[in-house]
Amino acid sequence: MRTANISLQEIFNEIPVEKREETRLSFAISNRIAALMQERGLNKKQFAEALGKRPNEITRWLSGEHNFTISTLAMLSTFFGKSIINV
Amino acid sequence: MSDEQSEFEKFVSKFRQDAELNPDFQAIMRFVEQILSNGALERYFRREGKMSDSVVALPVLKSKLRLYCLRLTDKILILGNGDVKRSRAYEEDDTLQGYVIDLQRFERLLKQEVRAGNVEITEKEILTDKTFEV
Repeated sequence: MRTANISLQEIFNEIPVEKREETRLSFAISNRIAALMQERGLNKKQFAEALGKRPNEITRWLSGEHNFTISTLAMLSTFFGKSIINV
Repeated sequence: MSDEQSEFEKFVSKFRQDAELNPDFQAIMRFVEQILSNGALERYFRREGKMSDSVVALPVLKSKLRLYCLRLTDKILILGNGDVKRSRAYEEDDTLQGYVIDLQRFERLLKQEVRAGNVEITEKEILTDKTFEV
């Protein structure tokens, strides 16, 4: 058996902390949206139709890679009647 | 694969010190870090390969780079190799297609060995005492 020559943690440590935090928040928001969709029984297509968006926009939101604007967060929070982030 | 470096290590070696592509490399690694914490959920990946295989890619959004992986379960992700994305589809680029084919071949071998009783894949682990040549 061969063990890995590289440490993932070392690679992560080379990344600016604020960029890592940005990605952590983006994943957390996408997880929150996925949970709220599940709670409402909405699949991606139904969710997109309810918001008047294209399904590929929902794919972006759920990927964990999207940089959400305050306007999108406010719209989502209004749609679900629940907060997306707690400030 | 008996090379000194794993496929993922080759990917890291290519782009870790590349001044131009490092931001795209680091973005992929930020996603890998979160996937380690959150699980390898389907929605975190771009579907690649064929419908019948488990090949996926990072990132989902626009990037100069692609990293190909095998997503076997929500808890088992095999990181493969990747490169600069120069064409619209991986099939149009011999290098990228080669990485996808390597993973498809590896998955076929794994499934074959599961059927033969030499490998067991649980939700969290690949259990075997054998090594395989791809």
